[in-house]
Amino acid sequence: MDSWSDIVDVCSSVAIHGSHIHVVNDIKFTGDKIPPMRIPSLSDETLSGKTPDVLIIGGGISGCAIARELTKWNLSVMLLEKEADFALGASGSNDGEVHVGFDLSKGSLKQKYVLLGNKIFDQITDELDVPFKRIGQYAAFTQSWLFIPICLLALWRRFYDGVWDTRIVTRKKLLKKNSTFSKKMKFAVYNSSAGVVCPYGLTIAYAENAAENGAELYLNTAVLDMETDKDGNITSVTTNRGKVYPKVVINAAGVFADDVAEMAKDRFYSIYPRRGTNSIQDKKAAKNIDTIASVQYINKAMFKKGHTKGGGLMRTVHDNVLAGPDAVETYKKEDTSTNAESIKTVYDKQKGTVPANSERDIITYFTGVRAPTFEEDFIIEWGRKCPNMIHCSGIQSPGLTAAPAFAFDIEKMVVEKLNPEKNKNFNPRRQGVPSLKNMDLEKRAEMIKKNPDYGIIICRCEEISKGEIIDALNRPLCPPTVDAIKRRVRPGMGRCQGGFCSPLVMQIIAEERGLKLSDVKKASTEAVVLYGETKGGALHG
Amino acid sequence: MVKTDVLVIGGGPAGLAAAISAKKEGADVILVEREARLGGILKQCIHDGFGLVRYGEKLSGPEYAERFIGEFLELKIKAKLLTFVTSIEKNDKGFKAALVSKEGIEEVQTKSLILATGCRERTSKQVFIHGTRPAGIFTAGTAQHFTNLLGQLPTKRCVILGSGDIGLIMARRLTLEGAKVLGVYEVKPTPSGLTRNIHQCLYDFDIPLYLSHTVTRVFGDDRLTAVEVVKVDEKMQVISGTEEIVECDALILSVGLIPENEIAEDLDVEIDPKTKGPKCDTHLMTSVPGIFSCGNALHVSDLVDYVSESGETAGKYAAHFALQFQDADNKNISSYTGVLGDGKLVDIEIGDNILYFVPQSLNLETDLSSVIVYFRSKDVFDNSKLKIKVDGKVVFEKKYAFLRPPEMEKLKLDFASFGITDKSLILAEVEVGVSE
Repeated sequence: MDSWSDIVDVCSSVAIHGSHIHVVNDIKFTGDKIPPMRIPSLSDETLSGKTPDVLIIGGGISGCAIARELTKWNLSVMLLEKEADFALGASGSNDGEVHVGFDLSKGSLKQKYVLLGNKIFDQITDELDVPFKRIGQYAAFTQSWLFIPICLLALWRRFYDGVWDTRIVTRKKLLKKNSTFSKKMKFAVYNSSAGVVCPYGLTIAYAENAAENGAELYLNTAVLDMETDKDGNITSVTTNRGKVYPKVVINAAGVFADDVAEMAKDRFYSIYPRRGTNSIQDKKAAKNIDTIASVQYINKAMFKKGHTKGGGLMRTVHDNVLAGPDAVETYKKEDTSTNAESIKTVYDKQKGTVPANSERDIITYFTGVRAPTFEEDFIIEWGRKCPNMIHCSGIQSPGLTAAPAFAFDIEKMVVEKLNPEKNKNFNPRRQGVPSLKNMDLEKRAEMIKKNPDYGIIICRCEEISKGEIIDALNRPLCPPTVDAIKRRVRPGMGRCQGGFCSPLVMQIIAEERGLKLSDVKKASTEAVVLYGETKGGALHG
Repeated sequence: MVKTDVLVIGGGPAGLAAAISAKKEGADVILVEREARLGGILKQCIHDGFGLVRYGEKLSGPEYAERFIGEFLELKIKAKLLTFVTSIEKNDKGFKAALVSKEGIEEVQTKSLILATGCRERTSKQVFIHGTRPAGIFTAGTAQHFTNLLGQLPTKRCVILGSGDIGLIMARRLTLEGAKVLGVYEVKPTPSGLTRNIHQCLYDFDIPLYLSHTVTRVFGDDRLTAVEVVKVDEKMQVISGTEEIVECDALILSVGLIPENEIAEDLDVEIDPKTKGPKCDTHLMTSVPGIFSCGNALHVSDLVDYVSESGETAGKYAAHFALQFQDADNKNISSYTGVLGDGKLVDIEIGDNILYFVPQSLNLETDLSSVIVYFRSKDVFDNSKLKIKVDGKVVFEKKYAFLRPPEMEKLKLDFASFGITDKSLILAEVEVGVSE
């Protein structure tokens, strides 16, 4: 077939949501060439001959959470991520919402894990020293006739599905508490336990804590092939850095989960990628909203076919405003390029939520590619033909909320199979880089006295000091790149988008790691920023 | 707690001039600069052309800055370098600022405050460029920092979007460093930079200027590999079918400067949506008594000479404000208004064909006999006339053979002779198509 949307339609129409029988898409797409997976340029034998107990494929939220939970046991845990940093796939480019599951029905894995995940978020983020705020969520309605049906749905969700905090808020109360909301709203469903977290911040924290507890995590390392024995067990895994021989393999490869399953001759599902674009606005816009809000419409189009991911406006954990995401099918698994239509779609919709909120305050935007199956549920189970592979696939929203919970279950599955001893030295607590801007002046002065670099502000927009940047570089697994520092301590995340601070950040990275300035890259090892000295450059040193 | 009369935030050309002038008026002055050296963006502007208006000679940026830094040091003004203002609050003694530096946190109590915080560059996302997120997208100022301060080449083959002055300067600079500048693309039908820069930086180096063109997308997963350029119509809308892919390794943006007024906004200073700087009276005092604004934070100037000039005005009157405030030490600042702000403000409205006009209001309690005003026209006009009207009557007019938005116009006006009262309606407008 030469139309990707036709293929998606065919597969979706035969898929039964919640079924354990999955649709495998083998329809040949003739409309365009599906781009192959990008492979890191790095090639060495660092991993050759290693025999980890558990090999995790994918350094997103799933893989990193699983790695961390497995370090509670005396197991050798190895995690491979093909990109230059963790959370560079869907885990890093979502909206960071910690969901309540109001849109999900009992019976699906999504629903099970979103409820569990939401409950344990306080504990997890406390242990990993990651900022997390429960700011509540409003799903507002403008159509009065929906009041009774939505009330019934809310009761059902609350008492049958277990979304305990579901409440209905009347127009008066809604607008009194949120004076910036659209006056067209008639009522809203409110869930106080909805929250926000930095999605890549949490993923990196999991990775760091896993490393501190003995896991080996490798960036720029892609799985290229596997060998299986007659029973279907994986015997070896080939990477761009040598062949490894794991006992158990966990497939947390996101959009490439079906490709990895195929390598293990166990492809019983297909991933059909779905793009989502989010915009980030200047902190000035935060006066417009201090919660998560969206307007829900019921119309004919929704009954036709709906992968219209809710989307909405939210105050992020760093006090920006985020708008999005939208949902667009694609056959390109790594196409995170943005386009004008997506931004427009999102803003046209959000005008109905907070009319004063404007796209003029946008400082950046990004696209992520989700990894759903046609059944629209998670797959968390042992391989069907490959007995030593656990599939952790089809993880899309609310994957960020669910990951801390399903990581525990995957931990249990591995423990049952390998029967390891407890790791007595496991330390669940990670100490993040201190955020000085948020300290009171006395505490901040005390910190600067201990380390004067905390008093040198490098990023004026986000008020990030040299000391915090050096701390980030000294954390485990921090690549020497501008983006890695940006994602860990936020210089360049503000309104000037690194215009002022990127040269300074590059100088600090170069000094700390003993690199030439031109060896400091933006994101990947190929993302050259500078081409070396100018004609008179040597004079500058 | 350190006390001072005048606290200047920013050690660029505006802040330096403001500090010097406040000191000369007899005030105690402290200047705060977040970088390690004074001079602001002039440090990286190694091209010449600075100081033509002020000194009648062509200086480089660092040379121009040196003249002020020399005087600043001679006057023994206190400068706090590598120091960042983390918060400012208004209190009954003026303003209290918390400063962060290697030494820790220091609080400074000041009677008046000068915001000389400069401006920042508009980024690629703010002009809605789409595509991938590769390395190789720089604002012109950042590219200039890499090239001139760090001696590092950010590109070998680039496209420049926007014909703002820094973009034009960088086109020449990168060419001199051996890079190939494929062209400067400008979305408007007329250039955004000074005419002299179009000639000296582009034409003299055979760098093409594409007017009514823009960049819509970038390509490349790691380093930028190409950009998509398109033609636009007179409404600056993309003409479909004109897309062209230009292979290059960098996109350099010179698409506008935005005054930095986050501190001002936090202090509830009223911002003029036209200039994006504080609304000021003829003393460059903002809507909050005791807070003054100057330089590119006030409005983006085309020449540094004007930046220094506004700094001097703000410095002088910030000192006056502080010294008068001293006499009324027991009075609360909100009840203290004295000479400088007794509510007798009359706004200058802007009429046809004017982009903006600074100052935005006149304080009738002050001497209005020689007020420096700056304005920019909305469009390119031949043979036009600036008119100042009071209650519909023309009180001043001046002919211009040529007005261009990139070129700021400066005048000295005697508002005292215009018969203005607090009920007057003052209007500034440009009449176009005036015959010779």
